[in-house]
Parts: sequence; structure tokens; C-alpha cells
Amino acid sequence: MSLPKRIIKETERLVADPAPGISASPHEDNLRYFDVTIQGPDGSPFQNGVFKLELFLPEEYPMAPPKVRFLTKIYHPNIDKLGRICLDILKDKWSPALQIRTVLLSIQALLSSPNPDDPLAADVAKHYKEDEAGARQVSKEWTEKYAT
Amino acid sequence: MAKVPRNFRLLEELEKGEKGIGDGSCSYGLEDSDDILMSNWNGTIIGPGHTVHENRIYSLKIYCGEKYPDRPPTIQFISHVNLPFVSQSDGTVDPNKLPVLSSWNRNSSIETVLVEIRREMASFTNRKLPQPPEGSTF
Repeated sequence: MSLPKRIIKETERLVADPAPGISASPHEDNLRYFDVTIQGPDGSPFQNGVFKLELFLPEEYPMAPPKVRFLTKIYHPNIDKLGRICLDILKDKWSPALQIRTVLLSIQALLSSPNPDDPLAADVAKHYKEDEAGARQVSKEWTEKYAT
Repeated sequence: MAKVPRNFRLLEELEKGEKGIGDGSCSYGLEDSDDILMSNWNGTIIGPGHTVHENRIYSLKIYCGEKYPDRPPTIQFISHVNLPFVSQSDGTVDPNKLPVLSSWNRNSSIETVLVEIRREMASFTNRKLPQPPEGSTF
């Protein structure tokens, strides 16, 4: 199975020159399937957490976006119980000019700025809107419990 | 072709199952909606018309192991049913007696298994098999 040159290039750069707080390495038996970790950004309730994700480049990539999911439980209004992420660039705002690196940086940024107006986890979003301090506290507790 | 890994494959199946498949005679979903490994599923088959199974609702458990979809899921009836490929002691489906499982390939899915089981219920040899009382369980 030959891998498109673009994917080879992206992978090489991800490994040789990783973005701060982000790692991504392909599975040996499936070079389109990556194990990812993202460190919780400083100043967010996810600080000091290390979150595991998985990323897959479908056949149509880069014409179609990568598929990404959290494997670590996280209390965030835009991430659901199965780790699915609500982020525009993973859906209708995808462009082939984006890359794995930019996707992972965007997910890291999403941890710093939750968007409860475009929720995936409705209960978490409601909590964030009605009692942000309380919701952030739960996010922090989950980070300590699951992401260390 | 890119080989879709287990978890992304199961996410696709979940989304398809949530939308509803075909005419609704087979359905499935996660047993526990926050099971991040998506291993345990529930399935339902509505018995095919003009058979002894007509209007019966059969519940099943489906287990997708770590090797799914390279390996088939394991299937167990919760509802009591008399079929040649279903153990009469605990409802387990014998994979050697059901072609969709014995000749499993990656294109098969939870949906195809349920549809095939339903097709078996309507087969010439199975459509008239005597059945236990409706609503009984293993």
C-alpha cells in the first residue's frame, strides 16, 4: 500500500519538529493512523493534563479532513462522551491547505477557549453557561483524575 | 485503500445506527453511551413476516473485540429463539454455523450480521421451526 507523498512529508515533520505540547506518531501497521497526545494549555482547567487522542487520515485526505477523537475522558462543552470533537475545521471549514499539525494546534486552542454556544456535550455546555467557575472546577477535577 | 482503524470504523457504524437503517427491521446501538472503547452493543431484530417469528421482537448482545473488524463480533441472543445456529443453553450464536460470521470480511458490519440473522429466520428450513413462548429470555 503506497502512501501519498504529502502524508509522508507531514509525518516526517511531525516527528522531527513537533509543535509544543503535541506529539503524533503513526502506527507501524497503519501509517494513516496516529497516536496523539496533547498537553492541556497553561491557564486552562486542563493545565498539567496529558490527553490521548487518535487520528486517522481517510482515503480522501487531504480533500477530506482527518478524523480525530479523544481517548482520555474530558469535561469540555465541545467534546462528547465518546471523545468526538465539534470543531468547524474538522467538518465544513476543512481546507486541503490545513494539515495534521494545524488540526492538532486547533484542538489544543479549543481546550483554552471552550465554545458553549456550539456544544456537542449539551449538559457540559449548559453547566459552562450557567456556572462557568463550577464547570471549570469539574474540568480541572476530571483532568486530575483521568489525564495524568 | 486506506484501512479504517477499529475505533473510527465503530464510530461510523454508530452514526449509521443512530440514523436508522433500512426499513427499521434491524437496529443497534451502544449498550453504554460513554463506553469509549465501543465494545458492547445491543441489537434488535423484528421477526420477518409470514414466518413463526412474525411480530416478535428479538434482543441481542453484540461484542466487538479489539481485533474487530478484522475479526467478527460475537453475538448472543437475549430473547429466547429456536434457530439451528443459536445455542439453546445461553443464546450464543455459533460463528461456524452462520456464513456471515464464518466467512467474515472487513466489509461486513454489525448491520450485515443482524440482516443476515433476520434472513435466516425467514429461510425455508427455519421459518416454521417451533418457537418458545414470546417474550421469554435465555
